Amino acid sequence: MTSEQHPAHPTPAQYWKIAVLLAVLTAVEVAMFYINNALDLKYFNSIILLSLAGLKFVIVVGWYMHLRYEESTLSRFFSAGFILAISLYTLVLTALGVLAVRGG
Amino acid sequence: MTATAERPQTTIFRRPSSTTGFWSWITTVDHKKIGIMYGYAAFVFFILGGVEALLLRIQLAQANAEFLTAGAYNALFTMHGTTMIFLFVMPVGAAFMNYLLPLLIGARDVAFPRLNALSWWIFLFGGIFLYSTFIFGTSAPPVGIDGVGGNLPAGGGPGTFNFLADSPNGGWFGYQPNAGPFYSAGTAMDYWALGLQILGLASLISSINFIVTILNMRAKGMRLLRMPVFVWMSTVVAFLLLFSLPIIAVALFMVMFDRQFGSLFFQPVGGGDPVLWQHLFWLFGHPEVYVLILPAMGIVSEVLPVFSRKPLFGYSAIVFAGAAIGFLGFGVWAHHMLASGITPVAQAAFGLATMTIAIPTGIKIFNWIGTMWMGRIQLKTPMLFAIGFIAMFTIGGLSGVIHSIVPSDWQQTDTYFIVAHLHYVLFGGSIFGIFAGMYYWFPKLTGRVMNDKLGKLHFWLMLIGFNLTFAPMHWLGLQGMIRRTWKYAPESGLEPWNVAVTIGAFIIALSIAVFMFNWYNSRRRGEASGLDPWDARTIEWMSPNPTPEYNFAVPPVVIRLDHFWHLKYDQDEDGRAVPKADKDEILAQIEDEQLNPVVPIQLPNPTYFPIVMALGIPIVFYGIIYHTTLWGKALIVIGVIISLAALIGWGMEPLEEPHEESESDAEIATVGGEEAGIAEGAGEDADV
Amino acid sequence: MSDLAHDAAVDLGHPEQESTGVENRKLGMWVFLSSEFLFFGALISTYLLYSNRAGFQGTYPAEVYDIPFTSVSSFVLLMSSLTMVLAHNALSGNDQNGARTWLFATAALGAIFLAGQVFEFTEFIVEAGMTLSSNPAASAFYVLTGFHGAHVAIGVIMLLSLWGMSRRKEGLSERQGMNLELVGLYWHFVDIIWIIIFTVVYLLSIRPA
Repeated sequence: MTSEQHPAHPTPAQYWKIAVLLAVLTAVEVAMFYINNALDLKYFNSIILLSLAGLKFVIVVGWYMHLRYEESTLSRFFSAGFILAISLYTLVLTALGVLAVRGG
Repeated sequence: MTATAERPQTTIFRRPSSTTGFWSWITTVDHKKIGIMYGYAAFVFFILGGVEALLLRIQLAQANAEFLTAGAYNALFTMHGTTMIFLFVMPVGAAFMNYLLPLLIGARDVAFPRLNALSWWIFLFGGIFLYSTFIFGTSAPPVGIDGVGGNLPAGGGPGTFNFLADSPNGGWFGYQPNAGPFYSAGTAMDYWALGLQILGLASLISSINFIVTILNMRAKGMRLLRMPVFVWMSTVVAFLLLFSLPIIAVALFMVMFDRQFGSLFFQPVGGGDPVLWQHLFWLFGHPEVYVLILPAMGIVSEVLPVFSRKPLFGYSAIVFAGAAIGFLGFGVWAHHMLASGITPVAQAAFGLATMTIAIPTGIKIFNWIGTMWMGRIQLKTPMLFAIGFIAMFTIGGLSGVIHSIVPSDWQQTDTYFIVAHLHYVLFGGSIFGIFAGMYYWFPKLTGRVMNDKLGKLHFWLMLIGFNLTFAPMHWLGLQGMIRRTWKYAPESGLEPWNVAVTIGAFIIALSIAVFMFNWYNSRRRGEASGLDPWDARTIEWMSPNPTPEYNFAVPPVVIRLDHFWHLKYDQDEDGRAVPKADKDEILAQIEDEQLNPVVPIQLPNPTYFPIVMALGIPIVFYGIIYHTTLWGKALIVIGVIISLAALIGWGMEPLEEPHEESESDAEIATVGGEEAGIAEGAGEDADV
Repeated sequence: MSDLAHDAAVDLGHPEQESTGVENRKLGMWVFLSSEFLFFGALISTYLLYSNRAGFQGTYPAEVYDIPFTSVSSFVLLMSSLTMVLAHNALSGNDQNGARTWLFATAALGAIFLAGQVFEFTEFIVEAGMTLSSNPAASAFYVLTGFHGAHVAIGVIMLLSLWGMSRRKEGLSERQGMNLELVGLYWHFVDIIWIIIFTVVYLLSIRPA
């Protein structure tokens, strides 16, 4: 049913390209770990690593889970859960005295 | 008449096919039967929780009484709170939603009928699991710690009823580390933590089911802003549960790991932080209290317009206020923790956030009053309970606002003032609303109307008993009587009001007895209701009473809010409702159409698998409690095998058995798995 | 008026049914997954709270991570998302053989990830002496990654059941195609949770200052 309704799904070739992109991003993440160990980038390390994770997250959700090809209702529910979780737990951690994530 | 009676075929075992009798209830996937079972089970737990409350009150009716041991007292207040919240108000809300949501949106069943049966059976087994603590649970003196602040000696000190002391005794919010492995040794708190885990699973499954049902199963023309308010409030409740249950699930898993497997999440001896438990519990716990009240608000919003003979005043305001309550409900949890040492900034922020809850709640109360204003009010029993709800809930809401003022809250925390407040909103609110709904929708279950005289007797007894019970608690609290105290000294001066409270509690019990007699009697001898006993407004009354298995022979096409009312009434030039000349013929025609389906209606077939799958879950959890023993490990394995086997059988069994091909095949109405079209906001008819 | 209300043939300019246009089971799965953020969020927050707190006895998780090893197992899980979409894609083109192969590959990659986790836990417990009871940070680490592992294990079981059904003569039906899509959504979700855990827990290697 879905394939007729959403002809814009990526092709296998695109899936492979996305996988290569994900693999490269992961390699960069791991490299960042060692770079940080050598240079101690402090907060930059956290920012860069979290951005890379966010990018991978969006790619998997958008393309592999096809969210960008689906009815907007689904994105709304999904982001509602995500945003609610981030907001609530940020507040909890703030209240418990863990304000920022320190880089290793 | 329906296709369900046909001989079904099946894959592994013969599929159940009975439509009446014991097995039809065990194997049913019909939302109405499931709703009725939820309702009766919840009521049994209501009686148990009530008996626990009466025992507490007997103990407190006298200064320095020795009716209960301290340990038994701790167990009884813990089980009273847990029962009333998780085993009565929540499931009775689920009973209303199950029975009514499909009828109110014009559907034949929920989106996932078998999952619905699964969540009901998980709930029932979870409740039984929790209550089995009275048989199997143990409590022991503190271990590994010098006894400071620990539990009472075995048996719980002097007094009778000490057998009850071997039951969960950490309060309904199970604060850590008191409810942890060191201060509450023994298995009783394990039954509590794991029992709540099972009940949470049941609610999570239902919430997903209801969300999909409401979003995808509405009748033609039933747009979101034409849905009855009860459906809207159920939607909010489902989302609150969806997003709050995972949090308590994690917190309870952590307790389980602390108690069973030696982790240190909440144990200060190992560096754990008990305040984390409070955050996680109340992140769930505050949305939970809106889960308890919003269905009652929905019921009252259905009852008031019918008996005021006027449309609901400010429908969209009430809907949006309900959604706002749900949304804000996630941002105020720490007001339960104002005395737990959170920072002043957090105290101020959560105090202010709590005050904002008063705005949407106030909007609702004024709209309900506006609905009654200038209406031709009929004081029948459902209406009395609805009015009682508004009055009592307002009192409870006002004492709630007092708590949002932080210094005032410090004074009131853990006193009877809090007990008074929470009973005014949960009993005066939720339970009055629930009874309004029981009287109002009783004809849908039985085709009969409940006796109005006995209903009024029930109402007045309950109103008087309720206020006699809970109003004096405000004064007791301000006099310094602390919550959960087992004894008080004669010279404290607390005795007179405590006697009044106990008398009130027994008056409530009497009123419930009147209700039970009325229910039992009206089922057999009540006046026949016909199609439309209350001259109602919403489409569930377009289905005959008692509701046929297929709900609607002809699914309604909804063209406006209060659709059913507009079929019966026109407006004159002053905007007053005037009954149509052929009103009686219209009703007769509706009833005739709905009783005689033109084409056979395909309903989901009964199945064994939900109950079998649910059965495996408590077995696993018993195994976890006793996992150090060999038979405990065996129970885990057996439970997993039962549930997995049921899952496989479930996966291979279709929801509906294939039906005979016929020329009317295309017209055979089905329930599940519809390829639903896309809702578009088009339509030339104006909303009225 | 009453005709208007009952006669299903009356066209009011409405579609068949008021709905979101998303198949019930798929909507249900997405709704469920959105609630899972709150589940893993609580576990990750607990880890962040304790991994950061000074003064515990015993070993902190960040002292024992084996980043190269975990990088490889993360890569394995990431690639299982690729094989999962390829399985789904094959079945939408009614390529039963392809679907069967990619399903098996996905389950196998998931199983490799799980084996890696078992190995990692064993190393931490036996070699580094960090157990569930060492301190709250260790508790949080094991329970967080353990629950993720439990999700992966459930996914592997579902994948293997689908693979079993795909081995029958008639292959996977259209209805089971929907099942495959749902299992796929779940599988990708478990993967994105690991993307977060890999960064927040392992790569940031949070420890008290």
